[in-house]
Amino acid sequence: MIDVIINEWKILFRNRLFIYPTTFFVLSLMLVVILGIVQNNNQEKFRNKAQNHVRQQWESLEAMNPHRAAHYGSYAFKPLNILNSMDSGINELTGNVIKLEGHVQNEIVYSEASQSLSMSKFGKLKSSILLQYVIPLFLIFLAYGSMSNEKETQRLKILVFQGISLRRLTLAKSLSIWLYGLTLLVFTIIIQLLVSETSLETLYRLLLIIISYGAYYYIIASVSTYLSARLKNNSSALSSILAIWIVWTIFLPKIWGNAVEKIHSLPSRKTFQTVMKEDRSKGIDGHNPTDKRREELKVRFLAEYKVDSLKNLPINFDGIVMQEDEEYGNLVWDKHFGNNYTILQKQKSLYQISGFINPFASLQSLGMGLCGTDMIHHLDFLKKAEGYRRYLIKTLNDKHAFGGSKTGDWRWTVDSVFFKSVEGFSYENPKISVLINQYLVDLLCLLWWGFLATIMIRYSLNERLVI
Amino acid sequence: MLDIDDTETLNMKNLISVKNITKTFKDYKAVNNLSLEIGKGEIYGLLGSNGAGKSTTINILLGFLKPDSGNAIINDIDTISHYNEARKYIGYISENVSLYPYLTGIENLDYFCKISGRSLSESELGQLLSECSLDSDAHHKRMETYSKGMRQKVGIAIALAKKAKVYLLDEPASGLDPLASNELSSLLQKLSSDGSAILMASHDIFRVRETCNRIGIIKKGELVKEMHTSEVSTNELENIYIEYMQS
Repeated sequence: MIDVIINEWKILFRNRLFIYPTTFFVLSLMLVVILGIVQNNNQEKFRNKAQNHVRQQWESLEAMNPHRAAHYGSYAFKPLNILNSMDSGINELTGNVIKLEGHVQNEIVYSEASQSLSMSKFGKLKSSILLQYVIPLFLIFLAYGSMSNEKETQRLKILVFQGISLRRLTLAKSLSIWLYGLTLLVFTIIIQLLVSETSLETLYRLLLIIISYGAYYYIIASVSTYLSARLKNNSSALSSILAIWIVWTIFLPKIWGNAVEKIHSLPSRKTFQTVMKEDRSKGIDGHNPTDKRREELKVRFLAEYKVDSLKNLPINFDGIVMQEDEEYGNLVWDKHFGNNYTILQKQKSLYQISGFINPFASLQSLGMGLCGTDMIHHLDFLKKAEGYRRYLIKTLNDKHAFGGSKTGDWRWTVDSVFFKSVEGFSYENPKISVLINQYLVDLLCLLWWGFLATIMIRYSLNERLVI
Repeated sequence: MLDIDDTETLNMKNLISVKNITKTFKDYKAVNNLSLEIGKGEIYGLLGSNGAGKSTTINILLGFLKPDSGNAIINDIDTISHYNEARKYIGYISENVSLYPYLTGIENLDYFCKISGRSLSESELGQLLSECSLDSDAHHKRMETYSKGMRQKVGIAIALAKKAKVYLLDEPASGLDPLASNELSSLLQKLSSDGSAILMASHDIFRVRETCNRIGIIKKGELVKEMHTSEVSTNELENIYIEYMQS
């Protein structure tokens, strides 16, 4: 088998039709990876600058009432994983900035797609586009004639005659083509490692990327070589393989994606906002002193502190009301956002199952997931940002309530020493070891396909196909 | 002149033996109850027009096709049930020996030898190519620069390296210039004198007459005539062939 692989590589590297595209690929990959990292670093620099600026502004706030500061709020900027330079996933479509303030959970805004005129159908040119679409296509072009050519030139008869079985030859040829794809992949990863700053977490993720893409390339190479051995001639092999590739990469993801959205449909933005508003209105209106629930809370606190009026309370009841209002708002948000989160999880799980008939779906899911740019990572950011918002507003409300002011004293202020004591927002992407179970189905699907392709070569090819 | 029934050969051990094989593709009978035997040191020419059943017969002997009925034996081994074992004794040369154009002659030979589990030194490989009359200057040139005759010689060297007892040749002289054809004939005669049995399927009457000891004419899958070449001149053979083809 090694002899066949060495021979295949020898032949490939003596063929100009192979050398030119390979040179083009290597240069393109280098360029795309380097540009991707430079662009990523620039974006990250701007993001850090903006986040620091927001923090600086917060720390230099003039003395003001804590509740006023809650309305002033803060901003959370979504950080870019370094691997965003490989696969930007849904990052270009989702927003990057979220305003964090009291009473309201804002939506994340300013997506790249909404601000870019140059955004194409495929998004920005990232190495994932080359790795997911271009290289597999090239592997197909290498593989489609690998066996049918041998058949058409009658070399196959001589080869089989020399003692190598058709199965072994097909497997060896598919391995040689797979190794080519793997070389380009490893080359890309090495460039990525050399140009970017790399942490242990990034290394883990890159290792899993090699495994995922490696498995997909094996599937592409072995299925293509199998069909080349199975079908009569080059043209039928090429058209069949291309048809499969188109179904895998274009039709199935769309069809399955639409079906998934129909089966587990999210409420429309309007419905979501209307229902949220309706539920939110059932809580305490912190700014309305005649609100019924506020009255109930007042009675409870007066009893607790054993006083007969708000002015005799040792705390600022306004802060308590504001926090109570926040807690209720949080429950409403948890209920509705939680519902959306569950639906999105169901959508993802159902979409992942399509990997059993479409390995490309598994690769895409893994590609984005391992680069930290999929829905799971995005939702994690939203949750953490909301968590920080709750911390921020509670800290401000508690200061308002227990900081020494009295009920109704809206002129009471805190200075920058307090604002500085409030922790700033910092976010780290979740570790892949924590999230890996979210991608096990994708990995299993790729392994299943690899196994299936090997079984097809092993048991579905026989000597009668030689002539 | 021998008739079909007169299968007594040169009192040698039969290395190739085909007994009553029939092969049908859908409604088309490609080989019909065909029998022939080829002994050690014999070159048998199977003459017939395109579609007469020559290649089907060879493919059955190679073990790539299973006949509907009958047996095909190579060196006492059934090629249908034990094709892998039988192939060890067979050298096969196709009509167009199309080896790897980006490899040199010696690299091609080396590769095919390695596939069969033999690792030969460069001098051994060169010697084999030289035995097949390939100029040593050409050994290290890429096959894409070779003529058809030169490619055919490398093909024969591959078969020779296998130390085959039986050679099956499917239209080996097709497209060769007269000099290359002549060299091929000499090479085959040398192989037969070394004790190999050779079956050569062709529609080149002259080449078959020049090369073979015995000739069989095949028409619509049936062996309609067998003869020793010593019994007929080229002209007579041509007349017999045309007569059978027109009948």
